[in-house]
Amino acid sequence: MRSLSARLLLSLSLLLLVFFGVTVAALTFVFRDLSERSLRDLLDVQVLALISASDVDASGRFNPPSGVLDTRYSTPGSGLYAEIRDSHANVRWRSPSALGTGIEFGAPVGRGQRLYRVLRLANGSDVVAVSAGYRWEIAPHVAEDFEFSVASSLAPSRAQLARFRGQLFAWFGALAALLVVSLALLLRRVLEPLRRVADEIRAVDAGERSALSADYPSELAGVTQGLNALLKSERLRVERYRNTLGNLAHSLKTPLAVMRSFLGEEPAAAGRSRILDEQIERIDSIVQYQLKRSVTFGTATLGQSGVAIMPVLNDLRVSLLRVYRDKDLVIRVECPPTIEFVGDRGDLMELLGNLLDNACKYCRATVRVEARFAAEATPSRFTLLVEDDGPGVPAEARQRILDRGVRVDESTAGQGLGLSIARDIVAQYGGELRVAESTLGGARFDLTLPGRPTRSAANQ
Amino acid sequence: MRVLIVEDDPDLRDSLTNRLRSAGFNVDSAADGEEGLYAGREYPIDLAVIDLGLPKISGLDVIRRLRAEGKTFPILVLTARDRWQDKVEGLEAGADDYVPKPFHFEELNARLQALLRRSGGWAAPTLTCGDINLDTRTQQVTVSGAPVELTSFEYRVLECLMIRAGEVLSKTELTERLYDQDFERDSNVIEVFIGRLRKKLDPQNTRQPIETLRGRGYRMALPRTALKSSN
Repeated sequence: MRSLSARLLLSLSLLLLVFFGVTVAALTFVFRDLSERSLRDLLDVQVLALISASDVDASGRFNPPSGVLDTRYSTPGSGLYAEIRDSHANVRWRSPSALGTGIEFGAPVGRGQRLYRVLRLANGSDVVAVSAGYRWEIAPHVAEDFEFSVASSLAPSRAQLARFRGQLFAWFGALAALLVVSLALLLRRVLEPLRRVADEIRAVDAGERSALSADYPSELAGVTQGLNALLKSERLRVERYRNTLGNLAHSLKTPLAVMRSFLGEEPAAAGRSRILDEQIERIDSIVQYQLKRSVTFGTATLGQSGVAIMPVLNDLRVSLLRVYRDKDLVIRVECPPTIEFVGDRGDLMELLGNLLDNACKYCRATVRVEARFAAEATPSRFTLLVEDDGPGVPAEARQRILDRGVRVDESTAGQGLGLSIARDIVAQYGGELRVAESTLGGARFDLTLPGRPTRSAANQ
Repeated sequence: MRVLIVEDDPDLRDSLTNRLRSAGFNVDSAADGEEGLYAGREYPIDLAVIDLGLPKISGLDVIRRLRAEGKTFPILVLTARDRWQDKVEGLEAGADDYVPKPFHFEELNARLQALLRRSGGWAAPTLTCGDINLDTRTQQVTVSGAPVELTSFEYRVLECLMIRAGEVLSKTELTERLYDQDFERDSNVIEVFIGRLRKKLDPQNTRQPIETLRGRGYRMALPRTALKSSN
């Protein structure tokens, strides 16, 4: 059982079932008891009516009931039966209604006794019967025992009980359904903040928001505030880490710059200073490579939003046009404004900066950048190509060019780190980088990176 | 040409100052952002080299403030933080080029020369006015294809005039560009050097490449023949 609300609903439904079951059973019992008691009272009244309707005349003869009796006694099978027996168990009178029912009141009861029984008739229906023994004073000091028996069909009261039970089930069923439904609604409402937390955490993970909102109920606020604090400290940690690395780079490179500058001041020791200069170059390239690698994250930091790539491309374009002003080159950027890179802005800038810088360095006059989504159906990746009209990369060098410190053309300044750093960044994001030949005549770099449409575009 | 160096590391600053002086620059140096901003505001700077990691005011802010105040001289950023993000930030703040540390002085110098040329409206490293050709990379000067021997100071005077060809440069401006701040300034020396330059460039005194505008200064009078850059 994975869902809290399902678990809660199921337990409550079971509890309701037990509770209502016991209630229905108890109510049925009470109802049956009540109806039996009232039936007995009814029978007792009938017995008294029989006694008052009977008569013993002066000669001591017993006159069976006459006059005003319940009309049901005269209708056969009416459900009300009576019998009067004397002390010798001779039937002195029997109601016409008992005709053909095969009713047997069984062993007579003694004087002053009263017995309630349930009897079964010939047609299989049940009746409840009372037999009461009385001593009847016929004349002074002459008395005779009589037994009066009355039976009434159980069918009406049983039908009533069944109806009662039916109604009970209907009401309780409806009540239970109402309770379960309102409980489900209540749970939904109560658990809504939990669902929202889950949604917001998903959004944070996807980089659509930077923190959870602050308006949670007090029971959850502890958790959400804790999460927000965690997100914040994680971001600060990343930032601190980068600053530390930046400072490290700065503090390592300035001494290197000093050494190099002083070396150049003494042209006399040219041989030795060339060796030292090469060592400085080596240290520098190690520092540069390792630092750039370590500030590359490979994933978006939690709570960081996606990076629209068009502004990054435009920034780089403006910067590169300024740096390569002497070359009088054209950088064409074809990029829909909706593509977002899922990752760190610094990484994207480093990657694209290196590729574009490389293209600007080697091109004759034109650099072209084109970005689009890999597949329209699932825009979770985008492709980007950077091409130029320079000399291009010979086929056999295309793989090697991405290796650390390798430059195919030694005539242009640079340390050959740019492309290998680009390759590392692409690899860390699970992307692809391939070198091919451009239709412009030069090199073409094909990139695939994780991306997504900007949220406003995705909602359209 | 007068260059401002803003660098907080004293060793690097001294070394750069020395080497730029030997390369023919008139150098002002500043050790932090505040000093740098002051120098950039107050001195007739042709060019600034600014380190990004500076005490007091960051290099980026120095550049932004100078640009906001309308200073248009080229600025080259020296930076140890050479991620593209940092480079783009520097260029967006108003710098014209960047050189990552540690650099070779030759590369820095070449970039500075290129910036100076471009600020004078020259796109290529060779400046041509009429039949005078000056190569900023080799510091060679030819007239109608024939090389002319110039002293270092004569070269610097000519370079100044040619970079700003067509503009009038006063004696004071020339002095400030060519002499260090600590040196005693004597504007008469300029007249002497202009005289020597004229003799070397135009021995027959026919074309009169350097014009004297009385009371205002000097001007390279021959027309530029290289294409102006788009800026």
